[in-house]
Amino acid sequence: MIRFTLNGTPVSIAAPPDRSLATILREDLGQTGSKIGCAIGRCGACMVLLDGQAMNGCLLMAWQVAGRQITTIEGIASHPAGAALLRGLTEENAFQCGYCAPGMVIALAGLLATTPAADAETIKAALTGNLCRCTGYHSILRGALRAVALLKDA
Amino acid sequence: MRILRPATLTEALAALRDPAAAAAAVAGGTAHQLQWSQGKPRPELLVEIGPLLPAGILPDYSANNRLPPPGATPSDFSQKNRAGSLIRIGAATTLDALHHANLPLLSQAAADVAAPGIRRLATLGGSIGWGAGCLLPALLALDAQLDTTGGPVALADWLTAPSGLILAIELAAPPPTAHLVWRKIGLRAGFSPAILTLAAVMTRTEGRIATLSLAVGGGIVPPQRLTTAEAQLIGTPPNAAAIEAAVAAAFSPPACPLRSASFRRRVAARALAQGLAPRAAAPPQPRLHLASTTPPLPPLTRHSPRWHNRPDMETKVAGTLPYLTDTRRPDMLVGRILRAAHPHARILAIDTAAAEALPGVAAVVTHRDVPGLNAFGILFPDQPALCHDKVRHLGDPVAAVAACDDATAEAALALIRVTYAPLPVVTDAEAALAPEAPPIHDNCNLITDLGLTRGDPDAAFATAAHVVEDIYVTPRQMHGFLETEGGHAELLPDGTLLVAVGGQHGARDRSQLARILNRPERSIRVITSPTGGAFGGKDELTVQPALALLALKAGAPVRLQLSRAESVRAGIKRNPMRLHLRSACDAEGRLLAQEVTVIADAGAYASLSPGVLETAMEHAAGPYVIPNIRTRGRLAYTNNGICGAFRGFGANQMAYAVECQIDRLAAACGLDPAEMRRRNLRIPGSPGFLGQRVAPSERLAEMLTAAAGSPLWQPVTDDGEWITGTGMALMWQGNGLGTLPTDEAEGTLRLTPDGAVEVLCGLDEMGQGLLAALQASVADRLGIARADVRPVTGDTGCTPDSGSTTASRGGYVVWTIAQNTAPGFTAQLLAGAARLTGLPPEALRLVPGGVAEIARNLPDPLVRFADLAHALHPQGLPVETTAFAFPKTEYTKGNARFIFCAGATVARVAASRVTGALRVTDLHLHTAAGPVIDLAAYLGQMEGGAVQGLGFTLSEDILMQGGRMLTANLDTYAMPTILDAPDRMQITALETLDAGDPYGPRGAGELGIGGVTPAICNAVADALGRWPTVTPIPPETILTFAETARGATP
Repeated sequence: MIRFTLNGTPVSIAAPPDRSLATILREDLGQTGSKIGCAIGRCGACMVLLDGQAMNGCLLMAWQVAGRQITTIEGIASHPAGAALLRGLTEENAFQCGYCAPGMVIALAGLLATTPAADAETIKAALTGNLCRCTGYHSILRGALRAVALLKDA
Repeated sequence: MRILRPATLTEALAALRDPAAAAAAVAGGTAHQLQWSQGKPRPELLVEIGPLLPAGILPDYSANNRLPPPGATPSDFSQKNRAGSLIRIGAATTLDALHHANLPLLSQAAADVAAPGIRRLATLGGSIGWGAGCLLPALLALDAQLDTTGGPVALADWLTAPSGLILAIELAAPPPTAHLVWRKIGLRAGFSPAILTLAAVMTRTEGRIATLSLAVGGGIVPPQRLTTAEAQLIGTPPNAAAIEAAVAAAFSPPACPLRSASFRRRVAARALAQGLAPRAAAPPQPRLHLASTTPPLPPLTRHSPRWHNRPDMETKVAGTLPYLTDTRRPDMLVGRILRAAHPHARILAIDTAAAEALPGVAAVVTHRDVPGLNAFGILFPDQPALCHDKVRHLGDPVAAVAACDDATAEAALALIRVTYAPLPVVTDAEAALAPEAPPIHDNCNLITDLGLTRGDPDAAFATAAHVVEDIYVTPRQMHGFLETEGGHAELLPDGTLLVAVGGQHGARDRSQLARILNRPERSIRVITSPTGGAFGGKDELTVQPALALLALKAGAPVRLQLSRAESVRAGIKRNPMRLHLRSACDAEGRLLAQEVTVIADAGAYASLSPGVLETAMEHAAGPYVIPNIRTRGRLAYTNNGICGAFRGFGANQMAYAVECQIDRLAAACGLDPAEMRRRNLRIPGSPGFLGQRVAPSERLAEMLTAAAGSPLWQPVTDDGEWITGTGMALMWQGNGLGTLPTDEAEGTLRLTPDGAVEVLCGLDEMGQGLLAALQASVADRLGIARADVRPVTGDTGCTPDSGSTTASRGGYVVWTIAQNTAPGFTAQLLAGAARLTGLPPEALRLVPGGVAEIARNLPDPLVRFADLAHALHPQGLPVETTAFAFPKTEYTKGNARFIFCAGATVARVAASRVTGALRVTDLHLHTAAGPVIDLAAYLGQMEGGAVQGLGFTLSEDILMQGGRMLTANLDTYAMPTILDAPDRMQITALETLDAGDPYGPRGAGELGIGGVTPAICNAVADALGRWPTVTPIPPETILTFAETARGATP
């Protein structure tokens, strides 16, 4: 049995120790907000916060999350930067197909928790591991900067 | 697999030494997983060593102080930077901590390893332990010493004979005056596997090199110090040519299919030389650029009253939008597909007995389970639903399994025994057409051969003042939608088969499925929307046949989604093309003749590839008048996967070649690129390339003017490494399917019982903004609010057949549905409201929220839509339906487009003479696609299309070897990251139509990609004097160009 805290709720699940957290979320727990775009840590669609830090859910094996705090897109509303990100990215129409969005939001939440006044270069560096095929990224950057502005005004 | 969490290092070492245990040490585990995904077997036992190893950084280490415990915040080296102090770094320190610790060289190097999410897991010890990390050259250059369980050892020695576990590294801080060099060369700007990493530490005394370490490594390059070069250079003044020569002589790198050995050697030599003895900047080369008198088009921004939130945006951002691959129910089985084991082989036998016997397996299907025609294909059915007699590419489906869970389904796949007799593999489109080539289908490998001759090209070439000729090669680009192909299927209680898989034309998917399943179309319901990106890659059937067969045989709902690796292997790609162009003009730059010969690779099945080639050939003259022309295009079957529709649909490949030829002729004539185009631009209202009529509102001249007046026409600059130039290209993209195929659409507007104005449209929301466009079109036409409009899309169970969501046709379809249904629907609403209020219909009008009285200019409706719906008889609710054809001409001698949209791309591109990298600093797109329906959707289509074009030009290609894909996942298939996107993008839209033009908005889907490749290549030529003819542009080509460019010699 692997035990961890998912969005504030204790979870225990029987899973092979090398099963990825992203697979556990989508296949075993039915939490499909996190997406799996490559399963090798190259697209970022499955990103989760592990004790507050954005990491690839597909690279975290079950044994590595035992006893840890996991926040997924399903729990983003209670994240300190969650509301600003949801609003900023929505207002800027940051996404197109939206499949990369959960990973992008998580990566940005991890960044803004420690760097709420992040500038464009810092945001770009933080999103280097998140692929988007639809937008060309500029709308996502505009949305992230809007979230930063909202955090500043808050 | 088991995990061992030993209490001591001694225990860990014992477990790792036990030959029976098949154990591996693990800390962050990131590298392990990449290797497992590439086929390396998983160990039986993982020994977790991370918590046993020191973590953190001691900037001023002596034997007396100890490293902080795991999890402690790393020290900031910069606060205590002391030259010569011994830095000790625990092996369990993450690369992220290293990145932020401000250590000389190492922090910069760590920032270039992978991406932030991985760096937070990956450790320094792991990075060294794998022996191939990006970091190693930096550590070698700093003379790092390892502290291991076997005792202290120099890193360089440990690499030759690794033993024991790494506990910590120690290195001396270089003096503050030391010159430090770090560089990583990858496949793209952000998050790339390393082609090469380089590090150097140099100190000088009296102008001469006193100490020098030069180190190389990264990827397949064995990490090493270039000691002979160091020895040669110490004592000499730092001189670029000497350093370059010394490094080139000392370094013998390996080659891989992505980059040659010679490339690695050249870049290592140049980058170390540039780092240690930087080349001086050159003065800018001014260009004659006439200031434009036409006011520039304003860039599109969100700061506009026309900016609306897309209706699906909030749920997408919050991750709550259910995609078809997200459906989960306890009764659902999980499906998996068995793919071909050979790129070309006869199938002798398929034995599924063992798989069927596996507990948990509900169904196994093969060709024997196909009740109808075991074939499909949008143009003609040459592709089997499940292979029976042979396999023709490695993605061919042979069998499929439905089981209780993913692990059981995968285990069952491994139990299916397929016996093959391999056949010779056809790997090249041109070779496929040779008479002796093995046939992939029953006949020869030629699928289509089309072309035309007009005028007397030979005579025109003979008398022309200038002739330019070259062969342009384009890549096997992957669509790369983030949501891979998948969905779910089940037989509903009423006997309907539900197939819910992201697609681009549900009605056609249903008709193809009906043929395969031998079921009436009316007993199949296909849901195709929403889907997480498509770009043409979900136009053909993907997983639907296997999924439907599994659901029927298992008698239970089945879900299935391809892994990325399987999607790469089995999914459609862009047709690689070889375009041979010969173009001629007179001394004044007037085009005289052009000869265009194309060979295109279809892969193993036709799908829409004949249409792609036909579209390419239809754009063979671009938007120019060329009196004498000869074209020939041939399409061949190969065993190289499958190809077909992809945004641009052949037009962008052709535009690359044609627009570069125009610039080359301009250069030959001494003409400005814009002026050259102006002299040859087609005249509005004149016949199209095939002689067909062309719709009004041509805007080429305006686009050309906008491009000519662009602020990006700055001088060519050279900062010593980066040479920066500007280039342009026109875009001219046909919309719709053309004259020959059926191209029709239906749509419905109705008031629902709950008071929504529902617009029913069979097109698919795949990210382009269909929902927003439907809301906008209907709301604007009716004069109601967007929020009043509820779009329903992509479901044959409730939406009409609106045709395919392809070919830049959706904008017209959506707009026309609104135009055609609005008058009748409005009349019905007003009549209903009139009955309710006793007012005459003429006294009423539609307003946001409902119906208002014209005479009273009140913001609130007199009758809300909900009240109206409630008051009307459920059978008598307003409904209006339209059916229409996409506008065409009467021309039928070939497949000709009628509506075209126009644009111009201007790119500012920097080329590195050191690494051959290209960086698009600025990208401006001027577009003319008629009225913009939804601002955000339009902007997104242009920006996104442009960056997809940037990927085609700079980094994306599925490399094949013997029918196998070498770039098999997103680690080596290099789509642009956020760091690869242009620094600045600007989009303008000229929205006007000619008076009386009835055709409304033009397609926005493909316009953005069309001019990017030639604009970049023309900018490269502006900077370096030569045109790249292979895309993605090999960096080695740029190195060579830079050597001969203007001012190349120092």
